[in-house]
Amino acid sequence: MTEATVGVDLPLIVEDWDRLTFRVNREAYRSDEIFARERDQVWMHTWLYLGHETEIPEPNDFKVRTLAGRPLIFVRDESGEIKVFLNSCPHRGTVLCRENEGNSRMFSCFYHAWAFRTNGDVAAIPGAEAYQETEEFRKSMALRTVARVDQHEGYVFVSFDKDVPPLLEHLGEAAEYMTMIEEQHVGGMTTLPGAQLYSVRGNWKLAVENAMDGYHFSPTHNTFVGYLRENGFAVTDDDQYVYNLGRGHSLLVLTGHGGRISMIWEPRFGEDERVRTEAHRAEMVERLGEKRAHYVADESHILFVFPNLLLFDIEGLSIRQIEPVAPDETAVRAWQLVPRIEDAAARALRMKTVVSFVGPGGLATPDDIEAYEAVQRGIQATIGASPVELDYSDMSRGMADEVKGVQGRSIDEGAMRGFWRHWLSAIGRDDALAVRGDRPAAFLEGRKMP
Amino acid sequence: MSGAADGRRTVTRAEVEDFLYEEAAVLDAWDYSTWLEFFEPGARYEVPTTDYRPGWSLHETGSFVDDDWELIQARVKRLKSRKAHAENPHSRTHRSITNVRVFDDAEGNDEIRISAAFIIHRARDGRFDGYVGTYDHLLAVTESGLRFRRRRAILGHELLTAGARLSFIL
Repeated sequence: MTEATVGVDLPLIVEDWDRLTFRVNREAYRSDEIFARERDQVWMHTWLYLGHETEIPEPNDFKVRTLAGRPLIFVRDESGEIKVFLNSCPHRGTVLCRENEGNSRMFSCFYHAWAFRTNGDVAAIPGAEAYQETEEFRKSMALRTVARVDQHEGYVFVSFDKDVPPLLEHLGEAAEYMTMIEEQHVGGMTTLPGAQLYSVRGNWKLAVENAMDGYHFSPTHNTFVGYLRENGFAVTDDDQYVYNLGRGHSLLVLTGHGGRISMIWEPRFGEDERVRTEAHRAEMVERLGEKRAHYVADESHILFVFPNLLLFDIEGLSIRQIEPVAPDETAVRAWQLVPRIEDAAARALRMKTVVSFVGPGGLATPDDIEAYEAVQRGIQATIGASPVELDYSDMSRGMADEVKGVQGRSIDEGAMRGFWRHWLSAIGRDDALAVRGDRPAAFLEGRKMP
Repeated sequence: MSGAADGRRTVTRAEVEDFLYEEAAVLDAWDYSTWLEFFEPGARYEVPTTDYRPGWSLHETGSFVDDDWELIQARVKRLKSRKAHAENPHSRTHRSITNVRVFDDAEGNDEIRISAAFIIHRARDGRFDGYVGTYDHLLAVTESGLRFRRRRAILGHELLTAGARLSFIL
């Protein structure tokens, strides 16, 4: 290099099978050009998690939510059908619904008093006789919908591109883990009010990496691990694995990072919870069979559904949505998902336990946020570095096993490598992958349950 | 304005203000051992989410902080550790507490409910973040002074903006 090259002209990913290294160009976290490309090529052309159907249980319930920077209305219409509209008056583009949530039979634009039903139809255009072809005109002015809306187990997804594959095909193996969550309790699961809405000064991909990274748990969450140990839980990283599920989705399976309310008891949960847990296990075995009950109950799962959904099925269950705002800023929204049928003591224990770990006020998530933000600040140091290799982040851990065909451990970086390879393809930059040496015949993909 | 408690003595707003100002100074000085002395054993510390509505129980909804006494102690132990990375180095905080009100609608006859406005500025990583909201506390009234029975900080924000976090005590 004769001059400092900033940039996206360099390979974005370099995987070297002779040296067993995998490196990601840090422009991926910093570049406005890459951010714009992600919006255009990924967010506008794939399924995005919007919200859970239990957030809007009654007809005419609505929430407003921004996805890919676009303000949307997530509403259940009068007939009970879920609809998603652009939150923008078809007349002049005014934000139509200026409440964050509520229940309303109509959305009325304050600007010129145009009104719309919750199914999107025009209800009123003041002085409509001034327009030609009034009925046709009214129809043409219905609320603008997103191209596709579909749901799986209550998780509602949208796509701005009508030509995406069916939702279940997109979800692939991830769908099964969402079903396993729904199977945890008779009567299924529901979200609760009390959404954690926060934002971090870091690139969205740092949040994805962090969730798939068991390697950081002990050092980053040193104080939380200490709290668990003091309370009698034997924290371990042994025999825990991470899986690429294909299409950019991935799964971290944890059994040694903490108990699970109503499924794996630990002393801090108290004696009453031990009794409830035993009874619940017996009920699950009856309902699901021994083997299925084992997979549903005995493993904590962190599931990433490309590109914007993380399900933390750990002590309790949190749904986390990530919304990139800028290369160095990400909005995060998290909802607690709980059994619809649960006694008050168990619910109270669940809520306390979940937020003691997750969220910006927990005993653990703030240290994750510190990590994203410290990386985002730190990678300013190598912009335009010479040699250029210095401006790459390393995600090689576990490649030595990968070439032998050994399943990656939770403390390896294989899920991140799978994510990054998919990401590169999704942003349309396969040309920016540099492969050195002989790639193993096949990467391990998916998880075979015995 | 004053609130009656336990029939034995009256709590003045000045006494409540002194209690809150003292606590603010202790928190700004990062003196967490002393901070625990502001609580009675069994107390709670709560920070509801920004969509909170009065009347919600944090046992029934999501929240930012839902600490019982054991978790308050775990939180303090963590904050005193060098390994609480989000607060090592510590945030610098500067607290202003105003609009103190004392109510006489508490359920127990040995407690009072008080509210106050807080403004906390937090400096870290070259930035200043502001936290604005209302305290909604239940204070136990004892002969030796006031103690937190329920310490609740309700944010006035619509959401936590970039960089804002609740790794320190609000």
